[in-house]
Order: sequence, then C-alpha cells, then structure tokens
Amino acid sequence: MLRSDRAKCTAMILAVTFSVFLMQNQCAILASLYRMMTAQIDDVTDAPLWVMEPDTRCFEQAKPVKDGALERVRSRSGVAWAVPLLKIDTMARSDSGLLCTVTVMGVDEASMVGLPSRFRIGQPGGIRPAGTCAVDPGGYAQLFPGEPVHFPRRIRILDESLILTGMTEASAPFTGFPILHCSRATALRLNKAENRTATFIIGDFTPGANRDAVCQNITAATGLSAMDRSGFGEMARRFYNNQGVPRLFWITIAIGLLTGTAITAQTFSMFVREHTKQLAVCRVMGVTKARIIAMVLCQGLFVLSIGCAFGTGLAALTTRAAASEPFLRGIVLPPQVAAGTCAALAAITIAAITIMARRIALMDPAIVFRS
Amino acid sequence: MNTPAVHCQQIHRHFGDGDTRVHVLRGIDFTAASGQITFLAGPSGCGKTTLISVIAGLLQPSSGSISLFGRDLASMPPDDAVRLRRKDIGFVFQQYHLIPALSVAENVAVPLLAASMKRRDALDQASTILDQLGLGDRLHQPPARLSGGQQQRVALARALVHQPRLVICDEPTAALDHETGHRVMELLAASAVHPDRAVLVVSHDNRIFHFADAIAHMDDGIITSIDHPNSSAAA
Repeated sequence: MLRSDRAKCTAMILAVTFSVFLMQNQCAILASLYRMMTAQIDDVTDAPLWVMEPDTRCFEQAKPVKDGALERVRSRSGVAWAVPLLKIDTMARSDSGLLCTVTVMGVDEASMVGLPSRFRIGQPGGIRPAGTCAVDPGGYAQLFPGEPVHFPRRIRILDESLILTGMTEASAPFTGFPILHCSRATALRLNKAENRTATFIIGDFTPGANRDAVCQNITAATGLSAMDRSGFGEMARRFYNNQGVPRLFWITIAIGLLTGTAITAQTFSMFVREHTKQLAVCRVMGVTKARIIAMVLCQGLFVLSIGCAFGTGLAALTTRAAASEPFLRGIVLPPQVAAGTCAALAAITIAAITIMARRIALMDPAIVFRS
Repeated sequence: MNTPAVHCQQIHRHFGDGDTRVHVLRGIDFTAASGQITFLAGPSGCGKTTLISVIAGLLQPSSGSISLFGRDLASMPPDDAVRLRRKDIGFVFQQYHLIPALSVAENVAVPLLAASMKRRDALDQASTILDQLGLGDRLHQPPARLSGGQQQRVALARALVHQPRLVICDEPTAALDHETGHRVMELLAASAVHPDRAVLVVSHDNRIFHFADAIAHMDDGIITSIDHPNSSAAA
C-alpha cells in the first residue's frame, strides 16, 4: 500500500534519512570529541600512572609540577618507575613562513616513555638527538598545507630551529593543534615561558600493588594528584562536560530524534488514516487483525530500513570527507553510534506503528459499505 | 426448493444509548436462497448497509437470530466469523476497493492469500477467473489503469475466486453508467449464480431489478415487501 503512494513513501524515507543522518553526525562528533578529550592520555599506553598538580583539570589545561616532584614520586612504595613528561603550547613557523600554535611533548630521552605507541614514518629513536622532533599527521597537514609528506623538514619555534624526522600516529587532539614529540632536553630549550621541567610525572605501579592505595600514598606524601590513566581520562571528560559544548551536541541529537519521530510518526499516522478503507476491505475479506498489523509493521520496517541505510551512508560519507580535513581528522563514526541511533529510531517507529495498530484493531470494517 | 443460505429472524440493531439511541433494524425477517440473486432495495438510510454488515458478521445484531448456511452467526465467536467470511463470503463494493499497490491478479488473489494459499497457486487461480471474465490481458496492470467497468469486473473476480457460498454486492452498479452497469450485472448473473451459492445485491437502481429472483424492499429498518419478478413474469 505504501509503495503505491510514492510521495508519502519518499517523505517518510527522507524523514528517517534526515533524522538518522543528523543523529549519527552529531553523535559521531560528540563521541569523537569525547575521545579527543583524552586522546593524548590514551596515547601513552606504557604509563598507567599519572601524577600532576592538584590544579590540573585535563591534559590541555595542566599546571607544571614543582621541581623535585619526580624523586618524591619515585620514592613511594608501589611505584615501579616514574619519568617526567613536559608539555608546552607555543608557536611554530614552517619553512614557508606559516605560523601555527603547536603542542610540544618532551619525553624522557632514556626510556622514551610518553610517545604514541606507533610511528607512521620514522622511528622513536629519530627524536633522540637534540633539536629533532616528530609530528602527527594532522599537524603535518597544518604546518605544510598541500605539500607532499617527506622528511626531514625544518620548522622554527621561537628562535630555535627544529628538524622533523618522522610522523607519529598520535590521536587527534581536542585543541586541533599539531602535536610535536621530542626529547625533554629539546623541549626544555623551547620552554621560555616557564622554568619548570615537567608537566606530568608518568610511570607504572609495581605488580600486584593496589592502585588506589598507591595514588593516595603519592598524594599524601607529595601533595600532588595521582591517578591511573582511566581516572585521569574520567577527570578530563568531567571537566569538558561542564564546559557546555557536549550539552549543545546532546540538544542537537535530541532535535534529530524528535524531528525524525514527529515526521515519521505523523506520516505513518496519516498513511494509516488514509488507507483505513483498504485495510478495512482486507478485514472484511477475512484477513485477521494480526496479519494486517504485521503488514503495516512490515511496511514501516521497510521505510525504516531504507531510511537508516541512506542516513548511515550519508553520515559515513560526511565523516569520511571530514577525516581528510586536518582540523576534523579525529571525527569518526563508531559502529556503536550507527547501530544505536538506528535502534533508537526503530524503537520509536515501532512504537508509532503499535499506536497505529491499536487504531487498526479498533477499526470498524463495516465502513467499506459506506461510500 | 432452494436451500436458504441466509436466514434472518427478528433482527434488531440499534446504535448509541439514551437520547442518542438510533434503532436502525426493527425486526428484520429475511431469507436469501442459494442459486438465486436476491436484491435488497430501499432508500438511503433505510438500514440496508447495516443489514448486510450483520449478515457478513461484521456487526452483531442487538437481538434476533441469523444463520448462514445453517450456522448461527449471532453466537459465533469472532474468530469463527472471520474464518467464515474468508471461506464462504465474497464481496463486491460500490467503490470497488481494489488495492492500488497490487496488480490486478494480486488483487484478485487476496482472498486466497488470506486463506494461506501459496502465492503462485493463488495467482494461477486468480488468472484463470480473470480470463473467464475477459481480463486475461490485464493481469499485471495496476487497477488505476482500468476503466470503472473493468475495475468492477476485477472486484467480481475477487469476490468469486475462492468459490464462496454467498456473494454480497453493495451497490455494484452505482459508480457505473447504465450500459456498463448492465454489463456488469449480466456478468454477475452469468458467473456468480450457482446452485450452491446465494447472491445478495444491495441496490436502489431499479433499472437492474430484472436480474433479481427476489427483491426485498426495505424501509425504515423493516422489510416492507418481497417481490419475485421472474415468477410473476412467468405467471
């Protein structure tokens, strides 16, 4: 029946498509933002312990730790090892003169702990010599827009010259700035604004140690905040949650859901109302109520499937297109988001059809005899 | 003597309660015999539609008894009434009520599909009857491409495809011009009338009354008289 009414069928498919697209797109951005909030924390896979100043709220807004903190942390029981990690936000200038704000991560030269687990081009050892660093893929695109990838390349930070020797697989950061990884000695040369030598102390727990107890012990002894990686990630997400941006996305997602629900439910309601006589004819000819409801449900699911497929396809395309943009490269469409939004709309559509089914069940089939 | 397919005794039906109570059927005694075309005639609002709804098991009478092929319809559980309709009753409606999304053959196959016949068998059977009614070349067309007369022939095929024992036609010629209506009635008389089948036609079009074996005249919820035009002509 629905197929015969192409205009209505198309309207319903478009409503579902638009709604699914809007929800998936916004959910994908939100999910990606949440991942970016902790990207640089999650990238450091070999250091589960994070120690920082109590005022630090997230990776991006971190206050450097006081000198001497490293030794005090290392001396606590339950700490297997600990190394400093220095983070600086500064300005870089490419060889073509392009200025760009960058985040520089100075890792411990001896252990190289603090680097992302994988390099796309080059080796971790390539950043050990003084004055060298590695850049993330999005950062390269920002520093050298439109240029082919090749190393070594030169950039300047303040009055220091740096040689880019490779490319890390660092996750896209929340700030969108290029992420440069270098040795801490190199980073210290770039750190003109601060005289501190570390932003975080990162390390590991001894095997079998109670992580919470170790963290409390560190805090009690040093006055610093200590937590494991997931705890730091959770704190960062809480901080960003309070900034309002996620709330705006949730509002847009809710609008998408409401729009899709309203249009789909209303169009379905109109469809059933307009086809009441045809459904009544089926009832008169001995088709059971259950079969008619199943028939309407099938048509609803048909519309839903097509709409979800189009919407998901559209969301996947836009996400894919965004991935090639340096500033949007962290945005991905997780399969859970795609499945979740389709499931949400399916539940609502089925609920709308169930309400319509009640109407069909209560329909007086004798209306077919009235002209 | 012809077997009564439909037998109504003192059927009353009212709608609403209190001040809004409307007494539509006021003691109907009516019989439709197998092998005959019985007309139910009367002005608009006299209760014809309510009566055929009761006969089809779509409405329960407020009181009285009604039997279809010897089975008491008033006391029949709703599911049994649905099964009875599916198996033993065919319908032709004034506005044809064909399903636009389905082809002509699929429309005709609906009663068979409702009875859980395999789709291929149902379509084969639908094609056969459409051939007999002269629509063999329109099987795969949507109903909207057919003329009014052709659509009513499709509706007739749909009413007969499952070999029902009762065919109820609600104003089958009302939407057609005189000539087309006459042709549809000829086709109905030729194809529907069968010793084991009763044909009940609701109409106020007196130009087709000569097709009737019996005409029950209704007014204000009661049968006022019953004519037998063919017997009187013979006499």
